[in-house]
Amino acid sequence: MTVSPSAEPDAVDTQRVRDASAIALRNLHKRFGRDAVALDGVDLDIHAGEFFTLLGPSGCGKTTLLRILAGLEAPNEGSLTIGGKDVTTTPPHLRSVNTVFQSYALFPHLSVHDNIAFGLRMKGVAAAERERRVQEIADFIKLGALMERRVNQLSGGQRQRVALARALVCEPDVLLLDEPLSALDAGLRNQLQVELQRTQKRLGMTFVFVTHDQEEAMVMSDRIAVLDGGVIQQVGPPQTVYEHPINAFVARFMGHVNLFEIDSVSGDRVTTALGQLRLEQPLAEHERHGMLLIRQEVIELGPEVPEGYNALEGVVRERLYRGSRVEYRLEVDGVVLLATASNLGQRLHAVGDRVTVSICPEDIVRLDA
Amino acid sequence: MRRGAFHRGLTLFWWVVMAFLYLPLAVIVFYSFNAANSSAYFAGFSLRWYDKLIHNDQLLSALSNTLVLGIASSTLALGIGTLIGYGMYRHRARKLGWLIVLIYLPIVMPDIVFGISEMAFFISIDRQFGILGPSLLTMIIAHVTFQIPFVALIVYSRFVGLDPTLFEAAKDLYASPFQRARFFLLPTLKPSLIAAFFLSFTLSVDDFVISFFNAGPENATLPIYIWGAIRRGVSPEINAIATLMIGAVLIAALLSLMFNRHKQH
Repeated sequence: MTVSPSAEPDAVDTQRVRDASAIALRNLHKRFGRDAVALDGVDLDIHAGEFFTLLGPSGCGKTTLLRILAGLEAPNEGSLTIGGKDVTTTPPHLRSVNTVFQSYALFPHLSVHDNIAFGLRMKGVAAAERERRVQEIADFIKLGALMERRVNQLSGGQRQRVALARALVCEPDVLLLDEPLSALDAGLRNQLQVELQRTQKRLGMTFVFVTHDQEEAMVMSDRIAVLDGGVIQQVGPPQTVYEHPINAFVARFMGHVNLFEIDSVSGDRVTTALGQLRLEQPLAEHERHGMLLIRQEVIELGPEVPEGYNALEGVVRERLYRGSRVEYRLEVDGVVLLATASNLGQRLHAVGDRVTVSICPEDIVRLDA
Repeated sequence: MRRGAFHRGLTLFWWVVMAFLYLPLAVIVFYSFNAANSSAYFAGFSLRWYDKLIHNDQLLSALSNTLVLGIASSTLALGIGTLIGYGMYRHRARKLGWLIVLIYLPIVMPDIVFGISEMAFFISIDRQFGILGPSLLTMIIAHVTFQIPFVALIVYSRFVGLDPTLFEAAKDLYASPFQRARFFLLPTLKPSLIAAFFLSFTLSVDDFVISFFNAGPENATLPIYIWGAIRRGVSPEINAIATLMIGAVLIAALLSLMFNRHKQH
């Protein structure tokens, strides 16, 4: 594998890399002390060459899972294979896995150059080869002018880049990233999200990324696993997890707020606190409980109701103007409903206006409570 | 303007304290260059006492004892204390309350208690086994004992100030346990180790009580020699020795401070 952006990876080499970097987790359990359960039976396959994100609130077990992949933590039960090889008990320095730590963990006694060269030096890579690879990665990550600096002379974004270069230069089978962008300000974070994703695509390396920020997860990932309470709630591409969350936890974590418990069902009509709503298809027997999700952005406000849509009457209670879009807090039958409208230059509704709310039956998603 | 008067009072107090601390030292340094035979009056500048010093065999042997003792004990204390400091850090999550107290205790223990108990201990071992009679060796052991806590605490505080993920980063970057010690722990600790060495050395050179109780007849150190000489009256020669010691201790203390500071930047 080469990190040169211009070189076409040849087929055989790519196949070798692909085989070497698929991850399989089977029935992983991890407890801290007697009661604190960090992971409670995790089964997960991460494909080779994938940008995979572990998403969840703090304490959900995502960082523990990452540390088990790195070898910094050992599971109480279960197994971990990387590229078909069982590495459950392999110590970290013998695993072809590198980590970009949340605090970056750059060695303060070394220059940027020596930090990047550290892994290769420990592996015993000859000096000339080492120098070539450090130079190559420095060009790739654009660190040229920083190489002789000391670590404490770098800004947050520069440290993040050095930490990434230090891990990438070792050309590991798997790169782990533990919330590497959380300490940066919003503008820089957005820029580095794009850079990280491009880097991963160019290298074709397996990235496992940990974050609690669902937008960050959606922007960068090929697939996302949402964790809660040490259990994987849902695994899927960003669009699936966002548009078809499997349960209320995933829906709320992905930023959805319009969740309504199903009171009763009759054919394709479902009654909730919001009133009666028509769905696209009648619910199956086992689906007749749980919740309905109406995403904020699918709700239409306007005098005319398109053919076949559900229509509700509401009052605007609050308006948040966000430039590219406008958020309304509506009250429908004493129930709060949030709606987001793209700002296309239409007349904005004012607080206190009576509005007609239209919802397409297709856009109503049933999910488990 | 009461506030102004108060501040002037504080400033004056500061200078009084400084005078108490440093005037006696200044007087000794001043009289070490006195041409007269007594410190009662000043009879002009002279280096005669320094000249006398370097021809005094007893004193030169005391100086060499002091240096051998200082360097040997500081080196040993550095090795043992570093391991203890690292151990304290590694197991800091456990409840080490009483163990930490045991580490601190020698620091606050009166020297006289320390000196006498070590002497009694060495003598009883000497009676039983015929080893560890009063000698340079017993002095080195006694000094190492009181230097260890200082080294351990300096090393421990350096580790506590480090980002704990650095240890994990070293593992993650393929460093074996030996490589982690060689390429991560030692270089990171280096300034602290140098500071700890100079502090130990200063403490050793400075010590009279503990050395006195554990020294054999051949092992007088500079402080012991000075104490013996003073019993026959303060000669200007003592002023010269004292001046040299002040200089040496000052340099070692400054080096210790310098390296301890340096590590924080």
